Amino acid sequence: MSITSPAISANTMASPSSAPEIASVLVVTQASLSLVAGLSAIPFSIVEPGFRLLSLVTILVAIAMFWLARNVRRRKRWARRWVIALEALSLTASLLLMVLPIGAIRGPVPILVNLVMPPSVLWLLLSRPGRAAFRTAGRSDARGAARGCAPAREARRWVIALEASASRRCCC
Amino acid sequence: MGAYVVLTGHFYGGVMYDIAAEHAPAIGATIVVVVSLWLALGAFSTLARRRVTWALTLVETYRATSGITKLAGILMLVSGVIHLALIASHEGITGGLFVIDGFGFIVLGATAFVTSWWRRPAVLWLLATIVAYVIWIIAGWETPDQIGIACKLIELVALGLVLRLGPQGLPTWPRRLWRAVAFPTLVSVATIGIWIGGLVHPDALHAHAGALLQPVAEVATAEQRERAAHLLADTRASITRYGDPAAAIAAGFKPGPAASAEPLRHFENAANAKIILDPNHPQALVYVQTKHGLQLIGAMYQMPRAGQWGPDPGGPLTQWHQHEGICFSPFGFEFSFETPFWTCPVGSTSVTTPPMLHVWIIDNGKLGPFAADLDKTVQKNLQGS
Repeated sequence: MSITSPAISANTMASPSSAPEIASVLVVTQASLSLVAGLSAIPFSIVEPGFRLLSLVTILVAIAMFWLARNVRRRKRWARRWVIALEALSLTASLLLMVLPIGAIRGPVPILVNLVMPPSVLWLLLSRPGRAAFRTAGRSDARGAARGCAPAREARRWVIALEASASRRCCC
Repeated sequence: MGAYVVLTGHFYGGVMYDIAAEHAPAIGATIVVVVSLWLALGAFSTLARRRVTWALTLVETYRATSGITKLAGILMLVSGVIHLALIASHEGITGGLFVIDGFGFIVLGATAFVTSWWRRPAVLWLLATIVAYVIWIIAGWETPDQIGIACKLIELVALGLVLRLGPQGLPTWPRRLWRAVAFPTLVSVATIGIWIGGLVHPDALHAHAGALLQPVAEVATAEQRERAAHLLADTRASITRYGDPAAAIAAGFKPGPAASAEPLRHFENAANAKIILDPNHPQALVYVQTKHGLQLIGAMYQMPRAGQWGPDPGGPLTQWHQHEGICFSPFGFEFSFETPFWTCPVGSTSVTTPPMLHVWIIDNGKLGPFAADLDKTVQKNLQGS
């Protein structure tokens, strides 16, 4: 028995999983916070020369995160891998800082930013629905890859897989 | 090290990196609402399995909703409950707005599961709440503490999710550009706005820049004045032997990094780390760079852990302070400010120092012998001497 109303159906997205969309919003939020951290260090670089480099690196990392978020939303598998690596690194660093007696994580804001958001993104991308969303997209990517829209190695792999699949269908 | 001079200026403050006491109930309310939602969902699922019609309707409605809508709805419910939990601590117009905001978020959070028209009102409601918060902070009508900032983070994420649910429209360049920059711009503007508010309106316990002062009584008793004088005399008698920095080094004190922008140098002794306010075993000695070399000007006592205030024999005269809201880079021993969302540039980390108490054995002008800072005029005179 289904009692789903049209209004409810409108809320339901066409995609099998919202995980990439939610993950991309979280990554964009993190990138925005990093961007402000990078920009805010610029005035300090007048008296702290080391912060010139740190500020530049932070802004570049933020820009890279915006780009990764965009590609996660487009269900690019390489973007998913990069985001997983970055979030895992961020979470590891946060856990290490939490252990050190420097008061790096005190209160709800650092807990949300450092200990809730990275594991949430990891969970979204590593969970079964998250993996499935990228797997489905991967197949459609293959067609684009074959047209030269993705790295050649990836394209070759998918073309071989598709040809094998087609030949199986043909012979059965 | 140069930025440490900026940090010890008298303009930076705000309770941004702490929780305002009157906002604490929001933490309990958030935990209660999250646990209640989880328990309610479990209970409704059980009833649905037993074919209770209304429970079946609720559970099917929940399951039919997309993950992104579910999360946006739940985040708005949480924000609504936080606002309602804080009504008692807000008076006048702010209190009234909290009532409207709280109920508005709860209604929108609930309607997200059952209607299709909720998206546009939710965008407007979230946007209005975030903008109003920034205005309130800048105007000084609200204190930017961790609860308020965490609530804004929840609302910003909810807004980002709701915006993603919007119709794609024609993929024109202006539309694409707007969709790409609108949300990051709002997050950045909100962060900077909260920051400006914190800088413009420091509270009484943040008179010392980038530092939280120990809460103490306003006036010292005669007994406290006497004890403070004893502490000063004992400290002076104990550390005079380290007038020559070489003697301090021989006794186990290690000089901190030197920088042209910072004339004060702390010589720390790790062996004294766990000793509490003992004039014979201070955690650090403070020297100032003069034209004739380093001159001993005081001692610094430090507690073993952050947040652990030390004994204050002189009451308000011997007020401890701890540095917080600073980003520390181990590359070059440098400092900068932390954003209200506790983010630091890559390669630096948020640091909160254990509480410290300075005892100046020289005349520290109008600030006195236990001030967090060395008087600027005194410092200038010493540097020129």
